[in-house]
Amino acid sequence: MAHMTSRSRGTSARGRALIAAASATALLTVAACGGSSGGSDGGGDDPIVIGISLPLTGDFSEPGKGVQRGYEAWAQIVNEDGGLLGRQVELKILDDQSNADRVVADYEVLIAQDEVDLVFGPFSTRLVVPSARIAQEYGMLFVEPAGAAAEVFEQGFDNLFYAAPAIADDHYNNLADYILALPEAERPETVAVAAMDDPFAQGTAYGLRDKLAEGGLEVLVDEVYPPNTTDFSPIAAKIADSGADVVIGGTQYQDAVNLIVALQQLGYQPELAAFSTAPTNPEFSAAIGAKTEGILSPTGYTPDAAWPSNADFVERYTKIHGNPPGEDEANAYTTGQVVAAAVEAVGCAEQGDCQQQLVDWLHENEVDTVVGPLTWDATGKPQGAHLIQQYVDGEITIVLPEDTAEAAPIFPKPEW
Amino acid sequence: MTGSLLVQSLILGVLLGGLYALLAAGLTLYFGVMRVVMIAHSAFLILAAYLAWYANSKLGIDPLLTLVVTVPLFFGVGVVMQRLLIRRLRPATLTMMSVLLTFAIALFIEGLIGFVWGGTQRRTQLPYSSSSLEIFGARIAVVKLIAFGLAALSLLALYLLMKHTRFGQALRATIQHPEAAQLVGIKTDRVAGLGFGLGLATAALGGTALSLDATIYPSLHWHWIGPLMAIIVVGGLGSIPGAAIAALVLGVGQSLLQVPLGTTWAQTIFYVALFVTLMVRPQGFFGGRLAQRF
Amino acid sequence: MPNASSTLAAPSRETTTRQPTSRRTRRIAAALALVVGALVVALFPSMAPNAYILSAGVVVLSYACTATSWNFMGGFTGYISLGHAAYFGLGAYGTGIIIRELELPSFVAWALAGVVVAIITVPIGIAALRVRGASFVIVSISFVLILLLVFQGWGSFTGGSNGLVVPRPFPDLMRPEHHRVFFYLFAALLAVMLVLWWAIDRSRFGIGLKAIREDEDKAEALGIPTRNYKLVAYVVSATLTGLAGGMYALWFGDLDPIFQFSILLGSYMVLMALLGGIRNLFGPLVGAVIVGVALEVFKLEFGDTQFHLVATGLLLGLVVLFMPDGIIPAVQAGLRRLGPQSSSIREMTASELAERNAAAGINGDSVFSGGPAAREQSPDPAVARHAGGPTPAPEEER
Repeated sequence: MAHMTSRSRGTSARGRALIAAASATALLTVAACGGSSGGSDGGGDDPIVIGISLPLTGDFSEPGKGVQRGYEAWAQIVNEDGGLLGRQVELKILDDQSNADRVVADYEVLIAQDEVDLVFGPFSTRLVVPSARIAQEYGMLFVEPAGAAAEVFEQGFDNLFYAAPAIADDHYNNLADYILALPEAERPETVAVAAMDDPFAQGTAYGLRDKLAEGGLEVLVDEVYPPNTTDFSPIAAKIADSGADVVIGGTQYQDAVNLIVALQQLGYQPELAAFSTAPTNPEFSAAIGAKTEGILSPTGYTPDAAWPSNADFVERYTKIHGNPPGEDEANAYTTGQVVAAAVEAVGCAEQGDCQQQLVDWLHENEVDTVVGPLTWDATGKPQGAHLIQQYVDGEITIVLPEDTAEAAPIFPKPEW
Repeated sequence: MTGSLLVQSLILGVLLGGLYALLAAGLTLYFGVMRVVMIAHSAFLILAAYLAWYANSKLGIDPLLTLVVTVPLFFGVGVVMQRLLIRRLRPATLTMMSVLLTFAIALFIEGLIGFVWGGTQRRTQLPYSSSSLEIFGARIAVVKLIAFGLAALSLLALYLLMKHTRFGQALRATIQHPEAAQLVGIKTDRVAGLGFGLGLATAALGGTALSLDATIYPSLHWHWIGPLMAIIVVGGLGSIPGAAIAALVLGVGQSLLQVPLGTTWAQTIFYVALFVTLMVRPQGFFGGRLAQRF
Repeated sequence: MPNASSTLAAPSRETTTRQPTSRRTRRIAAALALVVGALVVALFPSMAPNAYILSAGVVVLSYACTATSWNFMGGFTGYISLGHAAYFGLGAYGTGIIIRELELPSFVAWALAGVVVAIITVPIGIAALRVRGASFVIVSISFVLILLLVFQGWGSFTGGSNGLVVPRPFPDLMRPEHHRVFFYLFAALLAVMLVLWWAIDRSRFGIGLKAIREDEDKAEALGIPTRNYKLVAYVVSATLTGLAGGMYALWFGDLDPIFQFSILLGSYMVLMALLGGIRNLFGPLVGAVIVGVALEVFKLEFGDTQFHLVATGLLLGLVVLFMPDGIIPAVQAGLRRLGPQSSSIREMTASELAERNAAAGINGDSVFSGGPAAREQSPDPAVARHAGGPTPAPEEER
């Protein structure tokens, strides 16, 4: 027995040596391979490489793909017009699968290994916070199309800019004003709220809820659900049972569809139904059986807006894709416009001191975009207001604020 | 909670419990015949749901019709899996290694689903998706009733099979005492293989039922395997009636808790029941003579 | 009396002269391996070409820590816990919450979180260890799932699905430096775990645990306090995993219940330990390096598909089916085939033995005297008479 144990210990020592050497070689090879990726040499006719991480799969894949279309359309249009600072732009998009740890790794790869010149932001507040942190720690400018919740601006980032008119809490401001301005006999009295446990979704829903509560409406149901919830029967049952006049959904996409179908199954008919994000998606109508009449949603963008760059954007986007752009595409395009404006004004596009110059320029200037002129405060909060859209005769129509409305709001909501 | 809400939750709980019962019956069957914890059961469930969704969205076929293809297919896959994979494991570490192996199969299937159909959440669109019936004052969606009907019919068929056919007798004998069954002349190996196939067939049925009303995505199976495993332990590993009863009790419990506590906390009922079972009666509550300790 | 089948006489002299040198070479080889390994770890941050590779190295080291800590339970007692990510998450969230509520310095909070995890694990271990085998696996999975639900649902305390931000312990460091510091911190934690594993491996406690792994009922019959031993191993394993989780929280900074309490993380731990070999000190480390590197490569190359899940599933399945003892034993077996064969309990082959017997004049009819050729050599009629019979001649020992 003693022979065998010493023998096995012996070979295991040899085995260990071999494996240690093999692992060392493996590590070194990976390290070496990793280092061979090229960075831009700056200047000249090299393309400007822009690094982006997007949720192309997972919870946020629907809007994530919309943002991708927007970025790619921007890159194509800019290149057709001669590029940025005379150089072509090239997008490098990685999929973060809607995961916070993936998004961190993606931006680390893009900035540290691939040495991209600029970065654009990802989709969803949950992914924006960790990625903004990385950009901050590498000293990069960070313009993002989708981090709208208040907490994004409370983290102390000074390199961050949100490329849309207003933050989540203010998305519904116009709708709240409209409801509270209705004559008392017509005004709804009770509210039911269901929000995803997500800073953006909650931001929009609670913004509206709080304003209505201050105005005297009673909140009967106030539910929160985790992002991967698919069964909405209990929440819908609670809402239907309460018989609330107004239902507010702080939603993304699939959860809105599921909640609405569940409400339809229970035969619940509210006077007013407001859901964030989902109704701006082109597949929304088919997903809930085309029973969309009267559903309200905040939006930062409409293809019919008269802003100077918008008509051109809509026309060229439609030519590429066959249909007009939605809000996610527009936010992405806006991000591109904001960064481009800074780059053209400051005259550089690379990592290093250039980034801080871009940041400083944006803090002090206004940029014209497809969602209107944008300015930001010191934390990156935009200073505008969102529009309210509604499905009228099966079409998405802007109904608020009155000065930009295409039609009057429908109230009360017709039956599903 | 108002009265109508209570009735609604009760009915929904029974409908849900029926589906759980069918799936738990399959899961406990694998354990009974081969002492194998088949973690991939719910992954196959989701796969069947995806197949039903795909047939519906691309070919316009009603999901229930896909049963004609999926049930025999999954049955065959189950038999093959038992022959090729499970039988290869060393008997000394069978239970442990089978857990890891079926876990690997579950990961593989999840990856495959995501690879083929992407990670986006899917929902079957049916013309009768939002219609409902009024039962005892509660509005119940038609699709939920159909799903329950499918589950109940399958359970009935399973019951008839187990109690009134020779194969069912052989199966029950193999579950109860494999060595004694062999002594009586039952080919336990073949019976085990067929038992496995039967278990996967229930996954096909359950998955199709699920596809009618649920939103599916590749990692959904983790959402189901936890409650199902808790159910079969509470019911008694290896006992089909035990699994069915535990499923109904816990399903109704979950539904009733959902209204006051919310979906997230209501799901904890399965794990609390598991914990209580462990402390009080580790061999399960309803299994009787058939229940195994592990 | 010399025994025709005895292999002890002459060969033992040779082996005793062989042994000291080969034992010395083995010791040198082992020491060399350790030195090379330590050097690689120490120099890696300087050799890494960019900060991304360095951060990948930190991730691999964190995997190595969790796989090794898992192995305290899985390797010693044979109880496979698929839900060990629960303790990783508890340690991570514990650290974050303690920093937020008690405002302690980061590493004090980290150590305190480890203590909290240890205390929590005692009652859980008592409950979970009441069952064995498959039921234990089910319980471990259920534990991580219920923790996921609790941490998602208890938003006011844990931040829910919004996540929890853990402040950086060294806020003034630029990111590459931050990675470098934590690379060394994780390496130090791993070293502590390895030393502890090695110490337990050689102790009576370790022997008791291995007895539990081989046959728990017999171990109990032999008087080993199985319940207490199992509980201690479980608590140690959980605490170390919790410490690894807390360190990860300090490094990464953003926690989300779905990632900290994830069955996938738990399965990676098991895969790494199994792949490397659960009975070896460095097994989990080797497994972690292989799987960790493979994962990063997969996610970069095949990022927008679920292919890495397919690969993980395949790898785990292959390991379970074909290499259930892990890579290190498989490599050992391979190396053994390259070295001198030891496939028989005898140290010399049958023909060598026959020659030696013939040379020594032993004419017994043992099975190993060769048959017709040997019989022809020996002129002794007794041999010819006994030809074919299995009974050896009386002079020989049996």
